[in-house]
Amino acid sequence: MSVYITSTGAFLPGPPISTGEVEDILGMVNGQPSSLRVQIQQANKIQTRHYAIDANQQTTHSNTEMASAAAEQCLDRAYLDRQGVGMLAVASTQGDLPAPGMASMVQANLGLPAIEILTTHGICSSSMMALKAAYNSLRVGDHEAAMVVSSELSSRLLKKQRYEAATDSTFAAKRIDFNTEFLRWMLSDGAGALLLQSTPAPKGYSLRIDWVRGFSHAHALPTCMSVGSAGHPGDDRTWQDYDSYADAERAGALLLRQDVRLLDNIIRMGVDGYLRLVQEGVSEPDKIDHFLCHYSSHHFRSKILEMLDAAGVGIPEDRWWTNLYTRGNTGAASLFIMIDEFLRTDEVTIKEGDCILCFVPESGRFNTTYMQLTVVKN
Amino acid sequence: MNPNAQVCLQHLLRVWLGFERDLSTVPLLRRLDLGTYTIEDHLCLLRNLRQQVIEGSRWITRTASSFDRHHAEIRSTVISHAVDEHRDYELLEKDYVASGGQLEDILGMERNVGSEALHGFLMYRASRNNPVDLLGAMWIIEGLGEKMARSWAERIHELTGLGEDSTRFMTYHGHNDGDHMQRFYRTLDEVCVDERTTKAIVKTARVVARLYRLQLEELNHDIE
Repeated sequence: MSVYITSTGAFLPGPPISTGEVEDILGMVNGQPSSLRVQIQQANKIQTRHYAIDANQQTTHSNTEMASAAAEQCLDRAYLDRQGVGMLAVASTQGDLPAPGMASMVQANLGLPAIEILTTHGICSSSMMALKAAYNSLRVGDHEAAMVVSSELSSRLLKKQRYEAATDSTFAAKRIDFNTEFLRWMLSDGAGALLLQSTPAPKGYSLRIDWVRGFSHAHALPTCMSVGSAGHPGDDRTWQDYDSYADAERAGALLLRQDVRLLDNIIRMGVDGYLRLVQEGVSEPDKIDHFLCHYSSHHFRSKILEMLDAAGVGIPEDRWWTNLYTRGNTGAASLFIMIDEFLRTDEVTIKEGDCILCFVPESGRFNTTYMQLTVVKN
Repeated sequence: MNPNAQVCLQHLLRVWLGFERDLSTVPLLRRLDLGTYTIEDHLCLLRNLRQQVIEGSRWITRTASSFDRHHAEIRSTVISHAVDEHRDYELLEKDYVASGGQLEDILGMERNVGSEALHGFLMYRASRNNPVDLLGAMWIIEGLGEKMARSWAERIHELTGLGEDSTRFMTYHGHNDGDHMQRFYRTLDEVCVDERTTKAIVKTARVVARLYRLQLEELNHDIE
């Protein structure tokens, strides 16, 4: 049975924040401007982003509220009564509550009665995990419609108070702690929602899901992006192993870290997964009309792209499309926010039969996920 | 490149990416990732690399002599390669001493179990007529040379406090520039003209990748 994305929605909290204003929102740690901010921002090229905290670092929207707002917009645009939704799958790196799962909270907000729920836990690729489970539940005929939502509120992890409290951390000890600051200038907040149905929408374009695949390399590669460890080689303690949460916070075990040196692996494994799909005949490079990638082409070292071109499987750069530069890197929410805008933007002409390849890599412990969509019209 | 060479390159890329990923599981190299690599680890790595480098010049020259006159182009490539690298082990010996090791220790090292297997395989393949499949071996070994220069050398300095004279062998091999790749593509395009050759090149790349990793996994068994 075929499954279609029949409606989309997105929610970005507050006004767009320019690059120069970011530190006004997240705050200067101990009153000092960051010495790494400009360098990291120049490298990621993001121009504007959104935050669900204000300039006093007070939360303006909860993660549940953002997820619900994206889902509401998606339902408002759908040719389906909300009673018809049989399943709700919600993805986030960190819900508002460690327990219960975020899907319970979003369901309550949306008032969807007695549905099946799923919360997926991970980082960027958790959105694809939720999407694949919902896709499969429609394929086996358990439901005729499923709502998939991904939402991120990372600014709560990135506000100045988190760093100021980490008085015994690598961040406090080093003059420059690139690994701890890197994501502070990368990530921002937002939510996206997709409605999946077993029939295309009666009007306008729908996106048929051709396949969803993922390859995780945690068996071989070390952890690259994480929260919960103080980041000392040889120290296996996690945040829950300290005597108190206050001790864990002081040690820096609650800071978001990225081992920047390992980051190249995500590009490599991303290319490997793509080549695997090509070799299996699942993905046909010639047929890809649009490539929606959680990363932009400038993140890929040009050498590996040149090799793909030489091997005859490169995707020409004019087929890449992203809104990362204007909406920010919203982690798990990025792809859904991207699909939502892609269907509405004037930058690209979409026509029936177009093939869209989506790619969401997760650097956490190197999970790469892919999806192919085909544009259909009822 | 012709379609066979393109498919071959797709496979070679995957063999390389898998090899590179799996190097992260080698205990000594994992310590580079995790930040616990020591000077002792470095000495151990250099001691073990030397034999492979010495034997490397032998299989390359043997390969050159196994090509007939119909393969003059690839033979020239292989010969120039052999000239470039056949005394590289001397650099390794200097690096070893600069890292605080005793010259007689590195000179007295035998091939480890993995080096035996790798050397045995390469000499066997190099002794066959027109061993074009060894392009797969060059792909892996050249790639590793470039990786050492790109991501090992600086990390070793950072973790051990050793100077640049401890990694001259590694940085010397970081010459895998654009020209190098273009030359490789040209050779691949020239020799990889059917499915059988593609398969042979890819198979040899796979075997060399596995045996090279075996050699690195066997590092810690060097002094018993």
